[in-house]
Amino acid sequence: MVRNKTFNRKKILIIFTVVSLVLALLVGRLVYLMVFCSEYYGKKAEDLHERERDIKAARGKIIDATGTVLATNRTVCTISVIHSQLEDEERVIEVLTRELDMGEEAVRKRVEKVSSIERIKSNVDKETGDRIRNYGLAGVKVDEDYKRYYPYDTLASKVLGFTGGDNQGIIGLEVVYEDYLKGINGKILTLTDARGVEIENAGERRQEPVDGNNLHISLDYNIQLYCEQAAKKVKEAKSADSVSIIVMNPQNGEIMAMVNVPEFHLNEPFMLVTSDDGAVTGGATQEQLNQMWRNQCISDTYEPGSVFKIITTAAAFEEGVVSLNDNFFCPGYKLVEDRRIHCHKRVGHGAETFTQGIMNSCNPVFIELGMRLGTDNFYKYFNQFGLLKRTDIDLPGEAVTIMHNKKNVGPVELATVSFGQSFQITPIQLVTTVSSLINGGNRITPHFGVSVKNDQGELVQTLKYNVAEGAVSNETSGVLRDVLEKVVSEGSGRNAKIEGYTIGGKTATSQTLPRSANKYISSFLGFAPAENPQVLALCIINNPQGIYYGGTIAAPVVKEIFSNVLPYLGIDRQATAEEDRQEQENNNQ
Amino acid sequence: MDRVMKADQRQRSIRYFDYSLLMIVCFLVCFGLVILYSTSSYNGQVKFQDGAYYLKKQLLADVLGIIVMAVIAKIDYRIWKKFWFLSYAAAFGLCTLVLFVGQELNGAKRWLKLGPLSFQPSEMAKVAIIIFLATIISRMPKQMGKFSALIKVMLLVMPMVVIVASENLSTAIIILGIAVCLVFVSSPKYMQFIIMGGVVIAFGAAFIMLESYRAERLKIWLEPEKYEKGYQTLQGLYAIGSGGLFGKGIGESMQKLGFVPEAQNDMIYSIICEELGLFGAVCVILLFLVLIWRFMVIASNAQDLYGALIVTGVLAHISIQVILNIAVVTNTIPNTGISLPFISYGGTSVAFLLAEIGLVLSVSRGIRLEE
Repeated sequence: MVRNKTFNRKKILIIFTVVSLVLALLVGRLVYLMVFCSEYYGKKAEDLHERERDIKAARGKIIDATGTVLATNRTVCTISVIHSQLEDEERVIEVLTRELDMGEEAVRKRVEKVSSIERIKSNVDKETGDRIRNYGLAGVKVDEDYKRYYPYDTLASKVLGFTGGDNQGIIGLEVVYEDYLKGINGKILTLTDARGVEIENAGERRQEPVDGNNLHISLDYNIQLYCEQAAKKVKEAKSADSVSIIVMNPQNGEIMAMVNVPEFHLNEPFMLVTSDDGAVTGGATQEQLNQMWRNQCISDTYEPGSVFKIITTAAAFEEGVVSLNDNFFCPGYKLVEDRRIHCHKRVGHGAETFTQGIMNSCNPVFIELGMRLGTDNFYKYFNQFGLLKRTDIDLPGEAVTIMHNKKNVGPVELATVSFGQSFQITPIQLVTTVSSLINGGNRITPHFGVSVKNDQGELVQTLKYNVAEGAVSNETSGVLRDVLEKVVSEGSGRNAKIEGYTIGGKTATSQTLPRSANKYISSFLGFAPAENPQVLALCIINNPQGIYYGGTIAAPVVKEIFSNVLPYLGIDRQATAEEDRQEQENNNQ
Repeated sequence: MDRVMKADQRQRSIRYFDYSLLMIVCFLVCFGLVILYSTSSYNGQVKFQDGAYYLKKQLLADVLGIIVMAVIAKIDYRIWKKFWFLSYAAAFGLCTLVLFVGQELNGAKRWLKLGPLSFQPSEMAKVAIIIFLATIISRMPKQMGKFSALIKVMLLVMPMVVIVASENLSTAIIILGIAVCLVFVSSPKYMQFIIMGGVVIAFGAAFIMLESYRAERLKIWLEPEKYEKGYQTLQGLYAIGSGGLFGKGIGESMQKLGFVPEAQNDMIYSIICEELGLFGAVCVILLFLVLIWRFMVIASNAQDLYGALIVTGVLAHISIQVILNIAVVTNTIPNTGISLPFISYGGTSVAFLLAEIGLVLSVSRGIRLEE
């Protein structure tokens, strides 16, 4: 028997020592990993285990000046399946096909797809969602969600705009005020295993959503509705292509109504509207949809025609090249270089003062004014009035003024610009510029947004807009209000006259390009009371059939609107001369 | 008077049995079952719809192993001297056989199917090599100082190493490690081992440099987050890191839920870290250290060189596996598949480990305590 020798023992001890040392090193490594790297790896592991589910924040409402809610939310459901939790695929397919009114093929494809979670359909009615939940099918998830809902559907559709699948604004106010309206989505954090299956009883962490704030706008539901009806009526009566109406407070730029008929359905924005009764043609192209969603008051430019004479007048008075009693003679045309530019009255207005000239809307008078001003001065005032910049209205897609390049302006161009032809501006630009001229010279920013409040009604932010003073002098502004009042009381705008109110305004009839098509745009811009304008309205009728004179067809629309809106806004009727006399007689008795 | 005293002492010398070793092993086996159940119940549920699937199989192997251990502990270990060649030949034969008729699992041919049981011959090879070398060396203790004897012994081991290495490199490394330890203990010299160690390191480095596959492993080892194949390592680190000081509590591991692949196998230590924290992880290491310390005591006091060498072999086997496993799990060395003794899932492994413990206990019975 060979004995165990001392050196053997010693060597065994060496092995043991080496093993102990190595194990000590490994303990060191463990300490490093589990104490110093613990946070790093722990966080990474947590990220791996946690699955996020969004809780959508409720989008803020849009509320008009009367407190009427124009855009709100409705609860809808999203139906999805978790493949790994499915027990009876066939039954799930059968139930979903029936309840969701979808093709069996489509449902089958999604249910059988091996993915952690597959969305079957979103924007499902709450009742349908509840029914599906009540089946208690394993692996089928019904998540509640908010969907934008517009109680008045077509009302101010092109102003309000609508939201997309993720509740984000697509057009209109919904886009511009997205940040105020959208809120902050919350989260549900759940633990799952490597296959994505949620672990029961693991508890969940919730991050509550912050609801969006409500947007209060200056638009007035009643005025908007009334204007919309008026627009529809005239559109139908004149078989026009479209009718746009803007009603604004010229003192501060708050817009009370903006109508573009035909409007579209905000709750079904992808459904093409072809006529007023909402007939639909299937398969709308993006091009057609964009055209339908277009806000003509802001995105389309047109030749303003005679309404622009207000601006020419303002420039001429500012420059001092004309006075109210200057005498003019209209032979029915004016020669500019070798061109004969006709007045709308071919036989001519004969001898007339400036006041009579604007009342008659006489073209030769304004050509003369343009000549007296000259190109440089004219452009100087365009800039001063803010005509060449965007109005910065709080709606997306504003088009810019299309004006001649200054160095290309010859006498003919100058003459045509003077009475509102050969260039294009947007309706909102026209309304804003005229407002600035008649309100004493404050270039205001047209807007809808007034304030942002939370759902409890606490003010979050008052929205502020730029006002640039000194667009025109007070005197000029006063002269404009006077002569424009005369246009309505005695001149071409007399169809807008309402007993008891002083109304200023200007008509326009412009031929669209190409001139050979014989298409017209009739418009009328009016404001009241003339001495201290509180309401300004512009009505544009695009391609009316039959009579197309602005004074004949557009002015009555504004008259109709004013006769309702002025009392509604609490602007008192002034006693007319006849009433005064009657009153006096009563007193004498 | 003196003589009488001595004779008296001889007579009073007690038959020794290392109960502390037995207790540690029993504790390790039970602890292993608890951890295994905690770790494998998710995988068992997912794959076999039975959370206790792995536990049941392991329990069977444990019971079988303990019976074998008890029997072997009763048998005088010197008996095995007679089987030195048989054990070597049998292990070699089975390891060869597995290459041809082996059952493939996870892309490796390592199992022989015997009815309802599957059996891993490479585990047997470890025991075989201990018995084989202990017998050979104890027959020529005088020559072990010579370099030629050293080479001769290594050459005898080589066929087994090569045949195992062809399918299971990690086990081959363990077999080689056991052989080196046994030769080291039996030789009175030091210098030749230091030289040999240097040569092995040099060759190893060259080997890694030459084979791009190994070089890739090396890169994964250095930056596991950048490589797709570093997934397992990284998941292990996530588990270890999220354990912290005292762990999440037993059964509370998240990483075992499919994140660490086959968590009950080689990566089980990472789940111990996650559930029991640094405290529990160090306790496990200490437990193994106490086990190895008992081996050392028994080896040092063994009646003869043969017994000492058998215990040394077992000591080397368990030490190497514990060190390599923990080093791999903590990403201290590049990834290679080595299980944690008594705790990782694997019936053959635990059965043969318990058989080895039986051998050690048998050796311990040979010790005569003299007061």
